Amino acid sequence: MAGKPPASAIGLGRGSGQPTPLPEARRPGVTTTLARRQSRTAWLMVAPLVLYLAALTLYPFGYMLVMSLFRYDLASWEPPSFLGLGNYQAAFADRTAAVSWRFTAVLAAAAVSIELLLGFLLAVLILDARGERWIRSALLVPMAVPPVVAGVAWKMLFNYQYGPVNWVLSLFGVSRVSWLGDPFWAGVGIIVADVWQWTPFVFLVLYAGLQSVPDELIEAARVDGASTGQLLWQVRLPLLRPLLWVVLILRLIDVVKLFDIIYMVTFGGPGSATHSISYYIYKVGLSYGWDVGYASALSLLLLAVVSLLVNLLIRGLRLRELLGF
Amino acid sequence: MPAYRVRYVRGVALAVVALALCAAAGVALAGAPSRVAGTINVWVVPEGADAMHDLAQAFMRDYPSVRVQVTPLSWEILYARILQDVSAGTGAFDVATWDVMTAGSVARGMLDLEQFGRQNPDLILPGHDPSDFDPVAWRTAGLWEGKNIGFPFYLNTMFLYYRKDLFNDPNLKSQFRQKYGYELVVPDTWGKARDVSEFFTRRNNPSSPTEYGIALMFPRTHTTFYEFLLFFGPYRRSDAGMKKFGPISFEYGDYFTGDLKPAFDSPEGVAAINTIKSLLPFSPDPLGSDYGETIEYFARGLVAMVPQWGAAWASFKAAEALQPADQRVGVALIPGGHSVSGNWGLGVNASSRNQPAAFLFAQYATSKVADKGKFLKFGLLPTRTSTLNDPQVKAADPRMAVLGQIVATQTHRPRIPEEPRLEDVAVGTFTEILLGSVAPEQGLRQLAQEWTKILGR
Repeated sequence: MAGKPPASAIGLGRGSGQPTPLPEARRPGVTTTLARRQSRTAWLMVAPLVLYLAALTLYPFGYMLVMSLFRYDLASWEPPSFLGLGNYQAAFADRTAAVSWRFTAVLAAAAVSIELLLGFLLAVLILDARGERWIRSALLVPMAVPPVVAGVAWKMLFNYQYGPVNWVLSLFGVSRVSWLGDPFWAGVGIIVADVWQWTPFVFLVLYAGLQSVPDELIEAARVDGASTGQLLWQVRLPLLRPLLWVVLILRLIDVVKLFDIIYMVTFGGPGSATHSISYYIYKVGLSYGWDVGYASALSLLLLAVVSLLVNLLIRGLRLRELLGF
Repeated sequence: MPAYRVRYVRGVALAVVALALCAAAGVALAGAPSRVAGTINVWVVPEGADAMHDLAQAFMRDYPSVRVQVTPLSWEILYARILQDVSAGTGAFDVATWDVMTAGSVARGMLDLEQFGRQNPDLILPGHDPSDFDPVAWRTAGLWEGKNIGFPFYLNTMFLYYRKDLFNDPNLKSQFRQKYGYELVVPDTWGKARDVSEFFTRRNNPSSPTEYGIALMFPRTHTTFYEFLLFFGPYRRSDAGMKKFGPISFEYGDYFTGDLKPAFDSPEGVAAINTIKSLLPFSPDPLGSDYGETIEYFARGLVAMVPQWGAAWASFKAAEALQPADQRVGVALIPGGHSVSGNWGLGVNASSRNQPAAFLFAQYATSKVADKGKFLKFGLLPTRTSTLNDPQVKAADPRMAVLGQIVATQTHRPRIPEEPRLEDVAVGTFTEILLGSVAPEQGLRQLAQEWTKILGR
C-alpha cells in the first residue's frame, strides 16, 4: 500500500471499498460537459452574493467616481454639469477642507498614540491580576456604548457651567475650561472622548496577545534571570509587535473616519477647529451643502490618503513578513 | 318561503341599509369627496410634534377614511430628508413642516397649493381664508417666487427674556443708577444691554444676584447665523442703513443689499460684530453654548437675560428656579428692536400619492381653529391675524404683548437655495472673528468674497 496514493486523492466509491477512477474533468487538459456544468453551478451559487456586493459597493463607488467629475448640487435643482477635475482643484483651494485635513492628522496622531500606550499599559497591568475578569469586563463598557450616545454624554460632561469634568477640575483649584468654546480644548475634548471609547479595543487585542505568549518562553526567560521589565520589553513586546501594528492600522483608519463624536459634541466648532475631514464631507454632501459632486471628490481624496497611509505602513513595517501574508 | 329565511333576508337587508346610512353619515360628517381616503405621512420638526399629533387625531375623527401618520424629525434630519425626497420624487412624505430659510431649496418639490385648490374647489375647507394669515408669515412661510408652497404652520421669532424680579428690585435699581447714571430698565439698545450685562455679571459686580448678565450662543451651528442678525439688524434696518443698503428682499433677506450684494462687508457689519464681542465677557461660554445650554442657564437663574426663540417660554414657565414665572420672567423686544424670523410652513409633497388627503390635512392643521388651539394647548405662536387679535390669546401669554411689534420689525435670513452653504461659511467666519483669530474687517471681506463665489457672481 505504501506506493499507492491516498484514497481521498483517487476518490473511493461510496461503500464499494474499491478505488474509482478520477472523473474525466479532473484529468489535466480534459474538459467535459460535467466540468462546465459544475463551473456554471458554482458561478450561479456565488452570483447572488457578487451581485449583492456589486450593488452595495461597486455601484455606489462608481457613481461617486463619476459624480466627482460633475457639478451636482441637489439644493440648487440644476442638472449635473461636467466639471472635469474642477472639484479636485477646489478641494486644494478650500480653506475649511485644509483645516479639516489638519485636524484629522492631529487627531489621528494624538488619539491613536494615546490609545496604543494606554491600551498596552492596561493590558500589562491587568495580566494575571486578581479579579482580572471583572476589570476586563468593566473596561469593555465604553466600546459597547453607541458613539452617538457617547457623544451626548461627553457634551454633558464637558458643559462649561454644570459639567462634571469642570467640577472635578475645580476640586483641584483649576478654573473652568471652555471645552466646547475654545479651539484647543475642544480638540482635546474630542481626543479624550475617542481615547475613552477606543482604548478598550486596543486593550482587548493586546491583552489577548499577551495571554497567548507561551508560558515556556516566560519561564525560560525567568530561569535565565530576566527581571519583570526585561520580560516585558525583551520577551512580551517583541512578540506583540505584529498585533500592535495591526491595531495601529485599524485605529488609524477608524480615527480618520471619525464623525459621530464630533457631530454630537462640538459640531465641528468653535470656528472650524474640530472639523474632521469625514465631518466636513458630511456637511458638504448631506447637511449644509448637498453638493454631491464636491463631496464625492473629497471622499475619493480621503480614500486615496487612507489607502496610501495603510500601504506605506504595511510596507514600512514589513507587515506582510510579520503576519505571513 | 320558510319563516327563518324571511327573517334572514330581512336581517341582511336591514344591515345593508344601516351600513349605507353610516357611510352616508360619515361622508356628510367629513364633508369631503370620497377620494379623500388612505394614509398620509406627515413629517414634523420636534417643536411642533405634539401639536401635530393632536391635530392628526382630531383630523382622523373628522375624516375617518384618512389615516395620518406623524413622524417627528430633528431639524438637521428633517431638512435633509425633505430635500432627498423631493429631489428623488419618491413621495416618502405627503405633508411636512419646512423652515422658512429652506424655502428656496424645497420649493420645486412642493405642490402649488393655490393652484391645487383652484383645480379642486371641492377640497377647500370652509373658512380656510389665506388672507387671514399674517402678511409676513404668509410671505415667508407660504410663498416662494409667487408659488404657494405651504400654509404658515406657526410663527417663530426671538424675544428677550429677562428676570423681571431683578429689574424691579429697588436696591439693584439704585446700585445701577449710581454706577451707570441712568435707570435700570430692560435694555432697548445693545449699548445699554452691555451695561446691564456687565452689572449682572458677578465677576464685574460682586453684589450681582446672577453670575452672568446675558446668555449668548455663538457655536458652530446655524444658531450663530441668526444671532448675528440681532446685532446687524439695527444697522441694516435703520434709516441710514436702508438708504445705504437699499430695500430688503424676502428671498435674500437682511444679509444682502438691495442689489443683492453682501451688506455685512461694511463698517456696519464690523460694528455689529464688535458689539457681539463687547458682550462676550458677560456671557457663560458663548462659543460653546447653543440653544439648549442658554435655555438652561436662564432657567436655572444663572443669567439675567437671554435672547431666545418663542418656544423657550414653555421651559421658563416650568423652571423651578423661576417660580412664580409671571413675577420672575419678563418678555421684551430684542435690544436694538430687530428680532429674526424663524417661521415654519406646512407643505404638500408634489410627489405625494395622496394629494387630496394631504391638501385637506394641510388646510385643517393651519385653520383658524387649529391656529388658536396650537397656541393655547402647545404654546406655538399663531400665524393668523384673527388669532393674533383674539382677546383670549392676547391674555394667555406675555409674549403676545410684543409679538405684533416683533413680527413687523424682524429681520430675515436668506431663503435662496444656496442658503445652507452661505450659512456654513458665515458661521465659520463669525466664530473665527469672535475667537480673535481673524480681524473683523478682514474676516467679513473674505466672507463676502466667498459668498459672491458661491452665488456665482
